[in-house]
Amino acid sequence: MRFSGLVLGALLLLPAVAQAQTVSYAEAAGQLAQHCGEDIMRHCRGVNLGNGAISQCLAANQAKLAPNCAANHESIRMMTEARAAAQQAVHRLCDRDRAEFCPGVQPGDGNIVSCLLEASKVVSQACEAGLTNAGYR
Amino acid sequence: MTAKSFAGSFAGSMADALAAAVAASALLLAAGTPAMAQVFTPNAEIVQGLSSSVDDVPGVSAEALRGLAEAHMQYEGPPQSRPPLALQLDQLAQVNVEIEFELNSAMVKPSSYRTLGAIADAMHNPVLLGYRFLVVGNTDATGTRAYNMKLSQERADAIASALTTTFRVDPRRIQAVGLGEEALQDTQHPDAAINRRVQIFNVGRAGPLPPL
Repeated sequence: MRFSGLVLGALLLLPAVAQAQTVSYAEAAGQLAQHCGEDIMRHCRGVNLGNGAISQCLAANQAKLAPNCAANHESIRMMTEARAAAQQAVHRLCDRDRAEFCPGVQPGDGNIVSCLLEASKVVSQACEAGLTNAGYR
Repeated sequence: MTAKSFAGSFAGSMADALAAAVAASALLLAAGTPAMAQVFTPNAEIVQGLSSSVDDVPGVSAEALRGLAEAHMQYEGPPQSRPPLALQLDQLAQVNVEIEFELNSAMVKPSSYRTLGAIADAMHNPVLLGYRFLVVGNTDATGTRAYNMKLSQERADAIASALTTTFRVDPRRIQAVGLGEEALQDTQHPDAAINRRVQIFNVGRAGPLPPL
């Protein structure tokens, strides 16, 4: 009992392992196909993923969708939005770190992200989490 | 192609979006998942195929390739008898991706959504973040050449549109071109499935891209 308490205490003292709170675009898109593929072929034939057209089509046909698709398509869309938001947020979350660890690095060509990744052991926790959620590491 | 994004539906804060995603993952794990066959080109394969880029890529553009393909249409006769279309793209980092389309349509079948996402993940990968890409669509020789040219362009555009809107790849990094049946991979078997393919080429550095 005391031993397990010690282990628990030790675990709590460890720095939190950064785990992404977002999923990849492939994962989200794969889940959409898995849950809604048949509904898409039935109700959205000829419609494509671009410009939110599939989401709009599924929403417009909400009442006709299979329960599993009806229950999940919006949350799957949010997974893609979350990854996109995380990618957009990196520069804000890592702005100070960029100034500190990547001075003089020219923006563009992924240079800033590459520099932040090289410095990932020393960047702030917010920046580190940002890089993880963006799927950059 | 314009870069209309989901901006309208993008009102939620980052925290909301993250929370929703986490909740959604939990929900999905709990829900039963019906099986639907998916054809998938893995992300790692795409990243690897597109990474070994040369720095001095000659001026390859969608427009230039379109011009060559259209010029190639002057050669009449069966596909086997036409001179090959010399595109000189061999030195570029490239990958063939398996994308299933609806017959005679630019609709990507859901079975290929995961691959579309994986292409986007690859383009957002830090290794490739600084590069531009060309999406090339090809058909087999069934149907008329003009129709095949039009269909392949629409299909390449559909892929580019998904990448640049739903999956937020900067539109300045993507070009799309359809070559119809003008660049057959197997000229001896012009109707073979191998000819129906989507290729992605790394066409060099993107350079600084100011926020849109």
